[in-house]
Amino acid sequence: MSFLFGRARARTNTTELPKQAREHILKLDGPGGAAKADELAKTLSQIKQMLQGTHGLGTESDASPEQVLQLVTSILDEDLLYLLAANLYRLPFESRKDTQVIFSYVFRFRPPTASPGSDPMALVYVVEKRPQVLVELCKGYNYKESATPAGTVLREVLKNKDAAAVILYDDGDEEGSSQGGVAEIDEERSQTGNGVFWMFFEWIDKSSFEVAADAFTTFRELLTKHKELVPKYLTWNFDLFFTKYNTILVQSNSYVTKRQSIKLLGEVLLDRSNYNVMTEYVDRGEHLKICMNLLRDERKMVQYEGFHVFKVFVANPHKSVPVQKILLMNREKLLQFLSHFLEDRTDDEQFIDEREFLIKQIKTMPSTPMPPQR
Amino acid sequence: MADEGVASHYQVLEELGRGSFGVVYKAIEKATGETVAIKHIDLESSEDDIQEIQQEISVLSTCASSFVTKYKASFLRGHKLWIVMEYLGGGSCLDLLKPGVFNEVHIAIICRELLFGLEYLHTEGKIHRDIKAANVLLSESGKVKLADFGVAAQLTYMKSQRNTFVGTPFWMAPEVIQQAGYDFKADIWSLGITAIELALGEPPHANTHPMKVLFQIPKNPPPRLEGKFSKEFKDFVSQCLVKDADHRPTARELLKHRFVRSAGKVEALQELIQRKQMADAKADRVKLPVFYQETLHNISPKDDSDEWVFDTVKSTVLKRGTVRSRKPSPTFSLEDGMRKLDVKDGPLQPTTPGTVRRSTVRHQPSAAHHQQQGSVRRVSNGSPRASIAPKRPLQPDMSFGNSGSTMRLFRRVPSDSSTTGQLGAGATPADPKSNENRPPPAFHTTPVEATSKESSLGRRLYNRVLEPSLDELHAQTAGSTKREALAKLCDAFAILDSVDPEGAYHLLRNVVSAVSQDGKLSAALLQSSGGNSAPSKTPLDGTPQGTVVVKSRAAAALVSPTKLIMSHDNPHLLSHRRRGSAAPDVSLAPARSPEKERDREKMAMEAKYPGRPAVPGMEHCKALSDLLYARWTDGLRHRWGGAVAGA
Repeated sequence: MSFLFGRARARTNTTELPKQAREHILKLDGPGGAAKADELAKTLSQIKQMLQGTHGLGTESDASPEQVLQLVTSILDEDLLYLLAANLYRLPFESRKDTQVIFSYVFRFRPPTASPGSDPMALVYVVEKRPQVLVELCKGYNYKESATPAGTVLREVLKNKDAAAVILYDDGDEEGSSQGGVAEIDEERSQTGNGVFWMFFEWIDKSSFEVAADAFTTFRELLTKHKELVPKYLTWNFDLFFTKYNTILVQSNSYVTKRQSIKLLGEVLLDRSNYNVMTEYVDRGEHLKICMNLLRDERKMVQYEGFHVFKVFVANPHKSVPVQKILLMNREKLLQFLSHFLEDRTDDEQFIDEREFLIKQIKTMPSTPMPPQR
Repeated sequence: MADEGVASHYQVLEELGRGSFGVVYKAIEKATGETVAIKHIDLESSEDDIQEIQQEISVLSTCASSFVTKYKASFLRGHKLWIVMEYLGGGSCLDLLKPGVFNEVHIAIICRELLFGLEYLHTEGKIHRDIKAANVLLSESGKVKLADFGVAAQLTYMKSQRNTFVGTPFWMAPEVIQQAGYDFKADIWSLGITAIELALGEPPHANTHPMKVLFQIPKNPPPRLEGKFSKEFKDFVSQCLVKDADHRPTARELLKHRFVRSAGKVEALQELIQRKQMADAKADRVKLPVFYQETLHNISPKDDSDEWVFDTVKSTVLKRGTVRSRKPSPTFSLEDGMRKLDVKDGPLQPTTPGTVRRSTVRHQPSAAHHQQQGSVRRVSNGSPRASIAPKRPLQPDMSFGNSGSTMRLFRRVPSDSSTTGQLGAGATPADPKSNENRPPPAFHTTPVEATSKESSLGRRLYNRVLEPSLDELHAQTAGSTKREALAKLCDAFAILDSVDPEGAYHLLRNVVSAVSQDGKLSAALLQSSGGNSAPSKTPLDGTPQGTVVVKSRAAAALVSPTKLIMSHDNPHLLSHRRRGSAAPDVSLAPARSPEKERDREKMAMEAKYPGRPAVPGMEHCKALSDLLYARWTDGLRHRWGGAVAGA
């Protein structure tokens, strides 16, 4: 008897819980908001447990896959994902963690009937119908409280190409923005720079360490994960992207931002899929200047990371005239400088080899700039 | 990241200890008057991704339990990351063990509290991965808290198992060592080892070399608690130490065990704290607090003539890139490098906390600095040291058993760029936190400047060769008399180095030439005389004293313990490579062709590894080192391609 009762209760819960959660969230601002927060915390915890089943250490009876399907459907129907994402920062401590778990499970859930390789249903729904959920998750970086849970969810979701595209191509009401769903994206259009992706620069540069470091990790995922997405994106938004990148990140006053972004720059440029972006990047004299100044930074790790970008300029067999000019103008200084550059890195053979290679390249450059021949 | 001002919210007081990769200070939050512990991590000395440090913060910041040290905040100050945590005045269990082992009553309480802590962590999907006495902190009132999440892991939905090889050898569960995939049960094993540690003063196999322990744990039957302990206690330990993780109970199940169910109140643990205080008072230890001193600062104004020349007079970009003034970076000689480093990382002066770093050039890393770094690593992070023991070289707690502190021994290799010049390459790899706010020098005499070539060689000899090898030998020596003798020798060399580096050089030169003239000796020491540096180039990192982190790139389970060594980025191989490539560098012989270098390097390695069982405490490692050596030469062959293959 109790068995039957439990089943029945579970069934109502699958539709009731998301509805309750929605109502609690909407009343957070009203009178008795604190009490609502408590109730919300309980509801979220119940939803989490149903989704989690015995994956965790909970010993409660498992919900059946059909029930979980019902629950997920109901969560989508109530637009709970959006509400949770937008209000994440003001949920209680435990609820923020529960929300993170709920997102994880919902975004991975496949109905029992779905084919194993298919995209999870909630994720498909969000990228097609409700991209704002992802945008709101990114905006979790506006607050210290929501940065970690939102970031954790984002990095899981961003493994999906469409989800990454939604964030890259979010551009407000513009034509071709991802706002209407992933299908509306126009990849061959330059971004205005007002979309959510461009806010990452500020989050990384301006936030506290915890937030900035998490935002940077997500930013890196966005730029390195999807080889078929990012090169095109960078090509279409070359100036906007690298201007922001070089001024806000590479020359940030924050040691961590500076060092990590130089490293990422090197990774992006040296990625085979970004070949065209790389050649365009190393043609610009002003990029070389920034880079050469990094070599003279007073912090060794900044010098070291800078070196890995600098080497791309020098190793390029088709150096542009401005780049050749700068290198020639500083040839003697560079040779002198490089021969003593990070000398105590005696056990880094690759570095030593590369340094020698650069010295040789600079030495053997013709003394007058010549237009590159490709 | 806009944190720079936050540091001023705290008044930083004395040093509490050194942890996985940072120095921990006691501090007061000015706004609240609350005492906190602040861990300073020097990011310049960390090669790997800052992301990994972030991991520790994210695990800690999502914990809210009275059984876990509370995380408060973290922020950047220049290239240092400050992590603010709750202050626990009772110290670590390892510190508290110094006056003697704990009795069962106390151990039962600690175990119960630890189980509560583990139950919490495990429910949260977190694995601590480094449970040991050093990482268990007590508040002044006796509350027990888990600390040091430097290697903790967060399991996510997908990965409910981990393959990372992480922990401190003596406390590691067999499944962790075998890299066969493990989960939170690994913490339960470590808890059992910790219980033994509390009862006996050291973990099982403490006198065995850590590398050998890695073989023994999976191979041997689980350790048992022997001796005059209650049946309950023995049973508790044996339940924790079930080799098959599937049959090992969970934290929740163990909380029902009779041993902990009947345990008393945490207040009883205050006795342990008092006992430690008494012991310290009795021992008349000089309390020499090491005060915090800012070590980030501007150096000399930039020399404009040294700038790059761009066609524009001066681009704005250029200005922005260099907000802080600095000295021109190229360092033209080792001396210059040291000079610069010294100015930058001026030592802390314990006696005159207010004074600023010396403006005079000292390019000698004070011997005491260095040894201090070697000796303090047992102090757990966040655990207040009741007293700062007098700075002696090679403090005698470096025994295998208790010295393992939480270090990411292999991953967190400091950039030599910032340390090598001073410390000598040999010592740095094992000493990731070494250039963070140095402890004060014990020798207050200003060391002699190395002016002549001989003296600078002598100094180099000491820094790179003598000191690291003494340090290493000491670490591997078990007997206390032997250790003391070594420590004295080390002292003596330190003094010689500070007053007469040239003398040190001549001494060693004479030794080398005398050895080479004696047939038998030169046969025995032949290879090492190739640069009397070979043994000394064995940095401590060959032996995992501390917590080890190895990321297995191939997640494939390595079932046999021997295979573990072959894991692609095995730290030992890496360290050997490092060592190998650095070897010619320290050799005193002037002319070297690349082939000769390789030969010598090979010889040095041969001398050191398969053929040289001499280092006390290392004898049993022969089989292992043979294996390591083979792997290492394979690596060389691979890298040098034809050159070596043809040879």
